[in-house]
Amino acid sequence: MRGSFLEKLGTLVRTGVLGLWMLGVVLPMFWVLATSLKSTKEVTRSPFGIPDALAHPGAKTFAVITENYSKAWIGSGFSAYFWNSLKVVSISLALILLLGSMAAYCLSRFEFRGRNAIYNAFVAGLLIPMQLILIPLFFQYADWSDVLTRSFAPVARMLQLGNLTVSLHNSHEGIILIYVAASLPFTIFTLTSFFGTLPGGVREAAMIDGASEARTFFSVMLPLAKPGLITVAIFNFLGLWNEYLFGIVFLADNKLKTLPLGLASISMQAQYKSDFGLMFAGLVITMVPTLVVYLLLQRHLTKGITAGAVKG
Amino acid sequence: MSPKHLSRDTKRFLWIGMLPSALLYGLFVIWPAINALMYSFTRWDGLSTPVWIGIDNFVNLFKSGSDFVTAIGHNIYLTVVPGSIILTLALFFAWMIHLKVAGSTLFRVTFFFPNVIASVAVALLWVLLYSTTEMGPINNIRQALHMEKVPFLESARLLQSIVPMMVWSATGFYLVLFLAAMENIPVDYYEAAHLDGASPTLQFIRITLPLMWDVLTTGIIFLIVGGLKFFDAVWVMENGRPSPATHTMSSLMYAKVFEEYNVGYGTAIAVLLFVLVLIITRISMRLLKRERLEY
Repeated sequence: MRGSFLEKLGTLVRTGVLGLWMLGVVLPMFWVLATSLKSTKEVTRSPFGIPDALAHPGAKTFAVITENYSKAWIGSGFSAYFWNSLKVVSISLALILLLGSMAAYCLSRFEFRGRNAIYNAFVAGLLIPMQLILIPLFFQYADWSDVLTRSFAPVARMLQLGNLTVSLHNSHEGIILIYVAASLPFTIFTLTSFFGTLPGGVREAAMIDGASEARTFFSVMLPLAKPGLITVAIFNFLGLWNEYLFGIVFLADNKLKTLPLGLASISMQAQYKSDFGLMFAGLVITMVPTLVVYLLLQRHLTKGITAGAVKG
Repeated sequence: MSPKHLSRDTKRFLWIGMLPSALLYGLFVIWPAINALMYSFTRWDGLSTPVWIGIDNFVNLFKSGSDFVTAIGHNIYLTVVPGSIILTLALFFAWMIHLKVAGSTLFRVTFFFPNVIASVAVALLWVLLYSTTEMGPINNIRQALHMEKVPFLESARLLQSIVPMMVWSATGFYLVLFLAAMENIPVDYYEAAHLDGASPTLQFIRITLPLMWDVLTTGIIFLIVGGLKFFDAVWVMENGRPSPATHTMSSLMYAKVFEEYNVGYGTAIAVLLFVLVLIITRISMRLLKRERLEY
């Protein structure tokens, strides 16, 4: 009896302590969301009160919400930033998953000359900080753009396309190539060990049925690897969607900026003008997509971390 | 399957499967990494011909009173202080969830929230929390408690102000990591200890910690590497212009290359960062191997 009472008390105390930390985590986020529903005047008048739009719902108070969000979405270009992010991240992810899974499958299921060397080179990449390759890539891109422009010039003249200039700087294509290449070590490392856990007989069975290697891979092995692909996709998605350092170097043009880059530059102007409504709305627009993806896929993400933790 | 027995179809598939990844990785990661090593031994403004100067850049980095020495101190501060708080809290919370609480999934899911938000957004969120204007919550609370307003974001105070932000945003990830390790330990061990009369605290020290040592080491490596690379928040909170009082290695590297056109010197910082990451992972791996317990 005594034990069970103490146990219940213990559970209660622990739940209370964790509940306090949860409040600390969630309250700042709710505050941002609530403040994004207020006009700048209301923010100064009652920074922590319930937004008028919720306390007295009506056409007049709702107008503030639409004003903040339309100012952010259209006036300040957050819609463009959002679509840029979506474009850059989805193309990168598609390429990472396609190329990474093919390479990982080859490395895990076949013996060929140079296999170990290539695998080790990819694993070594896990230790290379992005900072190391940032500066050389900046200068390489200038050189490569020149070379590409010069080699395309005769073709462009022949097809009468006028002066064609290739630029890897300030282009989505340029940063996508970097994102894909830099994501390969983690992707290939994770997927190689995942393909290794799949039963060996599956490939042989498909081959005996007369399927080619490509067909076996795409219609048999790849579907089996779905859990591994999801894990890799989530981690790469979060990393790329939130990426900032390469963005400031390679996407200086405002038209090309992704959400984190756009948010940073807009907020500097908004702070200067004390335009709180715009700033909070911009924050919400940046925070929501990853939170939604996380909530939809959190079980897979936790499983990914758990698998990593158990393997050590 | 040995190389000799590969059919033509298999060989073709291997080429198609390996070549794009190997090419991209070679051109966009390995080649720049090699170039970084070469740049770091030169004096170069990015336009004229680079001049080979041997290890001068590295010698200059460590001249006493150089901005780099200060910056590396900031990285160490941003590793050790938030890192130890994060480790302690994450272990503590994971252990509490492990001991049974109501609503453990809710806690696990919400604690992770800040971790999926872009670091830029997290930094700006804290800029707003720390604001000295009438809407800054933290200074409002201070005033309600009859304390002075504090300019948390001024350069002299910025690094200290970043600590709570890092704890807020990172604890959830380490909690999930550690909780997974704890739940992987067989229950029999605790039952045996319980029969012997060991208290929960003693069980934690004698069973849980040793058996999750490798995961703990992984966590520590993540924290150290993250602290060494720290960039986004300092950059955003300083509006893209950190001062020597707030520079970290990464932001100093950026400023040296793209604002002072001192490419060799800036790249030397990147190379040193890489070497530090390498050494620290190596040392931790070695410690990990020695301490690893099989069960």
